[in-house]
Amino acid sequence: MNIIHRFFVLSSFTATTAAFFAGCANQGVQNPSGVPVTQMNADEQGFVAGTGVESQDLVTVTDKMARSILGTPAIASATTPPRIVIDPVENATRFPINKDLFSDRIRIMLNSKSAGRVVFLARDRMKTLERERELKQTGQVTSSYDPTPVAFKGADYFLTGKLEGLTTKTSAGTSDYILYSFQLIDARTSEIVWEDSAEIKKQGLEDAAYR
Amino acid sequence: MIEPRVPALPRPMAQRKDESTGRRTPHFLCRGVVALLMLAVFELLAGCMSGPAPRAAIAYTGDPIVDGNAELAAAPPKDRVLWDDRIAATALRVGNFDEAKTKLDDAILQVGGIINNTADAAKARSLFHPEETKTFIGEPYERVMDYYYRAILYWRDGQPDNARACYRTGQLIDSDAETHEYQSDYVLLDYLDGLASAKLGEDSSDALARAQALTKRRLPPYNPDANVLVFAEYGQGPRKYAGGEYGEQLRFYTEPSRIHSARLIVDDRRIPLPPYDDLNFQATTRGGRVMDYILGNKAVFKRTTNTVGDVALIGAAAAANNGSRDSDRAAVGLAAIGLISKIASAATTPQADVRTWDNLPQYLSFAALKLSPGEHPVRLEFLTRDGEVASELTRELTINVSPDASTNNVVFLSELTR
Repeated sequence: MNIIHRFFVLSSFTATTAAFFAGCANQGVQNPSGVPVTQMNADEQGFVAGTGVESQDLVTVTDKMARSILGTPAIASATTPPRIVIDPVENATRFPINKDLFSDRIRIMLNSKSAGRVVFLARDRMKTLERERELKQTGQVTSSYDPTPVAFKGADYFLTGKLEGLTTKTSAGTSDYILYSFQLIDARTSEIVWEDSAEIKKQGLEDAAYR
Repeated sequence: MIEPRVPALPRPMAQRKDESTGRRTPHFLCRGVVALLMLAVFELLAGCMSGPAPRAAIAYTGDPIVDGNAELAAAPPKDRVLWDDRIAATALRVGNFDEAKTKLDDAILQVGGIINNTADAAKARSLFHPEETKTFIGEPYERVMDYYYRAILYWRDGQPDNARACYRTGQLIDSDAETHEYQSDYVLLDYLDGLASAKLGEDSSDALARAQALTKRRLPPYNPDANVLVFAEYGQGPRKYAGGEYGEQLRFYTEPSRIHSARLIVDDRRIPLPPYDDLNFQATTRGGRVMDYILGNKAVFKRTTNTVGDVALIGAAAAANNGSRDSDRAAVGLAAIGLISKIASAATTPQADVRTWDNLPQYLSFAALKLSPGEHPVRLEFLTRDGEVASELTRELTINVSPDASTNNVVFLSELTR
């Protein structure tokens, strides 16, 4: 039985050695597991994360912009609620995004928090509105008011924004900086009566299996 | 893969007297223990390398989109992007743009993220799992095509800024190339980046200059009034295969396309569609990956353990034939080392991941033109390398131009049918 005992000892030793060497495939590779995405000034991020625009950024940025707009004198001191039209945000980053999310959330935040201090005009629904007015004017549908005069309101201000980005990619990872800037433009004078921005930077390194 | 030649095990020895006990050692027992140990190790390794779950049978219909979706439903999650990609390319070619958009958005969700600390990626790096254990997101040229195709759909939706974002990410993905010369060298990604800027009323000169620097072909200047954007593709894209002693090297099979150019004949005008980008070139000029280094280490481990196994087993055979008690003991020890080394070698999987987005084209082309609103009959011709028209591929089409001057009428033309 002595031979069998030695056999087992040797086997165990060899198996342990093999297990030890199992890690050798990654030898010499820096950060084989990658580095988790690091997000500055953010709430939470999911399992699949990138360095681009994500829901937490949207919330952070639009919350900040909505608060900032309400504090501007053009809105806070207005005797009658100014009418605002949202011009689509321009995306100049490297990340394709649903741009309407930004303007929609700012509008929702302002409408819900401003207690009627601003009014938004639904310019993105003009085709539907014009069709409805035409139906009323031609008597095809009933109307509770005189549909003849033009009642569509003009804008006092345009709210618009732009997303710009700067990307760095090296063997240490990918870093993306995004500047979110928004402006309130006086429709009569073209003056920029309010402007604010938010910036978010993220960086990360993918698993060596994908490098 | 070359199977290692395994030397013969020590011949069974006659029972010998054990000095310590005075009893005879039952050598058949030793052999039994060896067999059991081998069985246990095999079971252990088999558990580590459990194969894919059996796939549900697919009833093929002949419709590439339906069949592709059936394949996607039956595929393991790690292959989801692979099937998304294949279906998206087919959907674009048959004009099912909504399907293409859905699939590309799903793929970009994975491709666009930064994947780390995932179990399947860690397994792919380990010795005893093949690279294809990881979730497929494709090689850079495949990831670039996710964005290239998605950009076409953004153009259709009137979002040139999002299309531009796709081109910028595509060019960044291509910056992974090992050699500086081949980094971010897609002509169309820079050229179309500039076109999007021009359409948005912004400065596009830098993007045009970058694109021009990447090709000897004279690029047409931007026409912001162009209302028809023609995206064309032809030839068969690269395929992957595994090379090297153990299949640890990712290689590409490229077949030069018979079709080398195309042209669109519309309103008596010949619009050239030259090959601006070549995916075969892009696939083969990336250079080494970090993963290649890991696979190389796996191959070294496999080779070393195999050699150690050979040497140990030969040593065991030699010791067993010596006849002394010490030699017997050494023989058993060497046999154990040899066997385990051979098993470890056999279980090591350095094979490169060869899952391929297999319906990509070889050449990408583009043209922007201004047409009057209404229907325009056009003829699409594909040309061989000699400039001959491949008449069997000629197609008569109709381009319907919107009266809205701000609309970009997108035309997608492919030699490939699925």
